[in-house]
Amino acid sequence: MSITMTGRAAKGPATRGPAADGTAPRRRSRRPSPLHLVLLPLSLVMVAPLLWMVLLSVSTKEETRRFPPGLPHGIEWRNYTGALADAPLAHWLGNSAIVSVSCVAGNLVFCSLAGYAFARIRFLGSRALFVAVLATLMVPFQIVMLPTLIMVRAAGLTDTLGALIVPNLATAFGVFLLRQFFTTVPRELEEAARIDGASRLRILVQVMLPLMRPTLATLAVLTFLQTWNDFLWPLIAVQNPDHMTVQLGLQTFQGAHNTDWPKLMAGTVISQLPVFAMFFVAQRFFVRSVATAGLK
Amino acid sequence: MAATVLPARAAKGGRPRRSRRLGEHLAGWGFVSPAVLLIGLFGMLPVLWSFWLSFQETDLTSPGEFAGGAKYAELVRDPLMWEAARRSAVYTVLFVPLTMVLALPIAVMLNQRIRGVTLYRMAVFVPLVTSTVATGIIFNWLLNPQFGPVNAALAKAGLPQQGFFQSPGQALFALVAMTVWGWLGFAVIIYLAALQAVPADLMEAAALDGCGRLRAFRHVELPLLAPASGFLLVWLTINSLQLFDEVYVTTKGGPLRATTVVVYHLYNKAFVDFDGGYAAAVGCVLFLVILAVTLVQLALTRRASSYEVR
Amino acid sequence: MRQPSGRRFTALVTGVALAAGLASGCGSGSGAAKKITFWHGYTDAQATAIGRLAGEWNAAHPKQQVQPVFSNNDNTLQKTLASFVSGKAPSIAYQYGSSLSALTGRRQTQDLTSLVNGSPDVNWNDFFPAARQGATASGKIYGVPALVDNLGLVYNKKLFDAAGVGYPKPTWTWDDFRSAAKKLTGDKRYGWAYVSDGTEDTVWRFLALLWQAGGDLLGAGDKEAAFDSPAGQQAMQLLADMAVTDKSVYLDAGDQQYLNLFNSGRVAMMWTGPWDLGQINKGVSYGVQYLPGKVTHASVSGPDIYMIFDRKAKDAAWPFLKWLTSAEVHLRFAEQTGDLPLRASEQKLPAYKSYLAKYPGNKVFIDNLNQNVTKARPNIPEYPRISQVLGTAVQAVLLGKKKPGPALAEAAAEVDRILAGS
Repeated sequence: MSITMTGRAAKGPATRGPAADGTAPRRRSRRPSPLHLVLLPLSLVMVAPLLWMVLLSVSTKEETRRFPPGLPHGIEWRNYTGALADAPLAHWLGNSAIVSVSCVAGNLVFCSLAGYAFARIRFLGSRALFVAVLATLMVPFQIVMLPTLIMVRAAGLTDTLGALIVPNLATAFGVFLLRQFFTTVPRELEEAARIDGASRLRILVQVMLPLMRPTLATLAVLTFLQTWNDFLWPLIAVQNPDHMTVQLGLQTFQGAHNTDWPKLMAGTVISQLPVFAMFFVAQRFFVRSVATAGLK
Repeated sequence: MAATVLPARAAKGGRPRRSRRLGEHLAGWGFVSPAVLLIGLFGMLPVLWSFWLSFQETDLTSPGEFAGGAKYAELVRDPLMWEAARRSAVYTVLFVPLTMVLALPIAVMLNQRIRGVTLYRMAVFVPLVTSTVATGIIFNWLLNPQFGPVNAALAKAGLPQQGFFQSPGQALFALVAMTVWGWLGFAVIIYLAALQAVPADLMEAAALDGCGRLRAFRHVELPLLAPASGFLLVWLTINSLQLFDEVYVTTKGGPLRATTVVVYHLYNKAFVDFDGGYAAAVGCVLFLVILAVTLVQLALTRRASSYEVR
Repeated sequence: MRQPSGRRFTALVTGVALAAGLASGCGSGSGAAKKITFWHGYTDAQATAIGRLAGEWNAAHPKQQVQPVFSNNDNTLQKTLASFVSGKAPSIAYQYGSSLSALTGRRQTQDLTSLVNGSPDVNWNDFFPAARQGATASGKIYGVPALVDNLGLVYNKKLFDAAGVGYPKPTWTWDDFRSAAKKLTGDKRYGWAYVSDGTEDTVWRFLALLWQAGGDLLGAGDKEAAFDSPAGQQAMQLLADMAVTDKSVYLDAGDQQYLNLFNSGRVAMMWTGPWDLGQINKGVSYGVQYLPGKVTHASVSGPDIYMIFDRKAKDAAWPFLKWLTSAEVHLRFAEQTGDLPLRASEQKLPAYKSYLAKYPGNKVFIDNLNQNVTKARPNIPEYPRISQVLGTAVQAVLLGKKKPGPALAEAAAEVDRILAGS
C-alpha cells in the first residue's frame, strides 16, 4: 500500500471531477449526444451478421434454402432444443471453457511478466529475445502447424486437451501487446517505488498491473476469443471425440454436401454467448481502471 | 521476492552498482523465461524447422531429401509467386491504414460518457466474434452481382452494376472492404484500452489551460496512443501479409487468380501440390520480409512514443 | 506456477531429437490394433445409419470393435496428414476421391490390391466402374468404394411450363439444352447455373462436357494434355455461347447458392448429383434427366473411398470394410441415407424396390452409373495441379475474359509442363 501512496505523491496535483473514472472529461448533460448519429448506423453495420445468424437460427431448413434470403415466417425454437439435444453441446462447451480459461490465465501471468521485463528492464539480450518472440508470428500457420504438432508429440501431449492449452499458455501476441502498453505507464510511479526499495515483482504486481487493468482485460478477451474460436489447430491436434471443443463439434452439423444451417446457427449462437459475456464483463474495466490506479 | 519495504530502503544506496545491474539481468531473464520457454518450444522451434524444411524435397509427412537452395531458385523464377507478392503488398497497403484510421475516431467516441455506450461497444465487438466462414457467406450475399443488396442499391441510385468478388479487377478491393469490417472491432478495442491509460488529470489540465478539445487530443492523447498505434501497425501488417482464411471462404484465390495472395499460393503449394519444401521456402521469404517491415515499424514507433509524463 | 525449467529443457531436447527422428523415418503407425478407429464425415441421417451398422458389426465381432468417429469433411485430408505426423493415424478413414493421389505415396497408406485379389467374396467387379476407378491409382487398389455419385440434369417443372418449354428428354442435344436455357432466362432468372469458382467443382462439369463431345482430358498414359482438341473447343464454345452470348447461365462464385436459387425459382436447370435432391424444397416440383449430349451423354462421377492407414489394423479393418460395402449391407445404408448403390448387384436385391420408391429421383443417376459414367478423372499426383489450371481456363471463358481457343491452348501448354515434371 505504501507504494501506491508514494506513487500518488509523485503524481503531482490531484484532480477530482466527473472524469475521474477514466472516461474523457465531459460535462454530463441531459441532451442526447450528437455522436449517436454516427454510432447508431455504425453499430447496425457491425451487428448485421449477428442478426442474420440469429434469424437463420430460428428459421426452418426450407427457409434457409432460398436465395436471395428472406425473413422467417415464424420462430423455430426447435433448432435450439435440437442443437442441445442431438449433440453433446454442453460437453464441447465444457472442453472449450477448460482450454480458454487456462489459456487466459496463463497469458495474463506469463505475458505480464515478460511484457513488463521487455518494456522496463534492461537486461542482456532483451532486444534480440523480443524480436525472436515476435518472429514466431511471422511464418504462416499453414507451414508451422505440422512442426508444432511434432513439438506437441515430443511433449507427450498428443490427443489431449493439453495439446490445446500448453502451446497457447503464453503467446507472442500477449507479450507484444503488454510490452507496448507497459511503456505508457509513467516512469515516475515506478521510480518512486524503486527508491523505496521495492522488488521488481512487487512493483509489477502492486504498481504496474493495477494501472494496466484495461489492457489486461483486453488481453483476456482477445485470448479467450482466439482460443474459443480456434478451429484449425484443434482439428489437427485432437482426435478423441471426448476432447472436441465446441468449434470442432459444430462441424458435425456440416455434411459433405448439406449443412443443417438452422441447427448450425443455433449452435453457433449458443457457443458465442460466453464470448459476449466475457466481453461485457471486460469492457467495464475500460471505465474503472484509472480510478483504482491511484491517480486521483 | 517478498522484500519488505523497510530493509530494502535501508539497503538503498549502499548496494554496489554492479550487483544491481546483475540483479536486473537476472530479473529480466527470470521474468521472461516462462513465456520465452513456452513460445520457444511451440513457436520458435517450428519456425526453425520450417527454415530447415525449405532446403528439402518433401511431401510434408515423410522424410525429405536435401535439395539445397533449389526451392528458392524455383521461387524466384515462379511468375505466380511475384504476382502473389504484388497482390499481398497492395492489400496490406490498403488494409492497414484504412483499419487504423477508421478505428481511432470510433474508439474516441466509444470512450465518451453517453447513453448506451456499452451497447455500442458490444456492437463493434460483433464482427470479431463472427466466424470467418459466416463472414464469407454474408459478404458473398451482400456483394452478389445479380441478387445482392449492394448492387440493388447501386441500381436504385442509377449507378452501374459491379462484379465485386466475381470481377478480377475488383475482387481484391472487395476483400479489403470485408476484412476492414472484420478487423475494425479489434483495432477499436486496442485503442479503447489505450485511451484508458490517458490520465484524466492531464486532459483536465489541458482543458484548464484553455486547450480546445481537438488540440488537447492532438497534443495529449495522441502521443500517449503511440505505443498502441505501433502495436496495431505491426500486428495488422503481420496479419495482412499472411491473409488466407478470408480468401479461402470467399474467392478461393480467384477469379483468375486475382486474389491469390502469398499465403494462398503457399497453401496451394503445400496442400494441393504437396511440395512442402517450396511452401516452406515461400514461408521463409515471407518471414524475412515481415521481419524487415516489423523492425522498421518498431523503430519508427519507438521514436514516436518517446513521450514522458512531466 | 512456474515449473522447474529443467523439465522444460528435457522436453525441448527430446522435442528436437524426436523431430529429427521423424525426419529419418521412424514414427510409428498407430497404437493398439484391437480397436478399429473409423474416421468419417457423416452427419444427420448418415451418422445415425453408420452408427447403427457399426453397432451391429460390434455385436457380432467382439474382438474387432469398430469405433466410428466424426473427423471432418472438407478438412479431412489435412487432419489425416496431421495424424501421420502426430503418430496416431486412424485405422480407416473416409476420403474424398480427389484426395487419393495426395495419399498414395505415403508410408501410412495401405495398398489393398492383394487383399482384394485374394478375396473372391469381395466380388470387386460388381462395384460400378466409376467406383472402382476412384479407388485405384497406377494399377493399385488403395481403397474400398464408399460413395459413387454423378451428375444429372435437375429441372424446375413450373419454370419450364411457364416458359412453354418441353421437359428435357434423354435424347436432348446441346442445342436443345442451349435454346431451352435461353428461353428460360428472364429478369433475374437464369436457365442454367454453373459453379465458376475455378476449383474442381468447375472442372468436373467441364469434364462431362468434354467427354460428351468425344474428347478426353489427357492422352494415352496420362503423359500429355489432350483437351485442346475439337471436342475441347466445342465444350468451351458451348460455355462461352451460353454464359457470354446468351447470358443464360448464373455463375455461382462457389458459395453454392445455385441450389437456393433453384429453390427460389431463379434458376431453371442445374447439373448436380443425388445429394442435392434431398435439399430441394417441398413446394418445388422437379424432374431429373440425363445430361444433354453431343456424341454421348457422358456424366462424371466424384467417387469417395474408405482407406486404411494403419498397417497393424489392416487385417482387422479389412473384414469390416468388406462387410460394410457388401451389396446387402450397403443397400440398407443407402435406404436410410439416399446414397446411390455402390454395386450393380444391389439393383437385384428385393429391398431395391422399396429403395427406389423412397428415392425416385435417384433412378436417372443409377442408370447413368450403368451406362453413362464410363470414364474417370485420372488418379495421378499431378491431377490437383491440372485441375487448377483447367479451372482457371474455364473460369476465364465463362467470365468472357478469354476466347475458348486461346484459353484451351494456354491451359494445355501449362498442363504439358506439369506432366513433364517441371
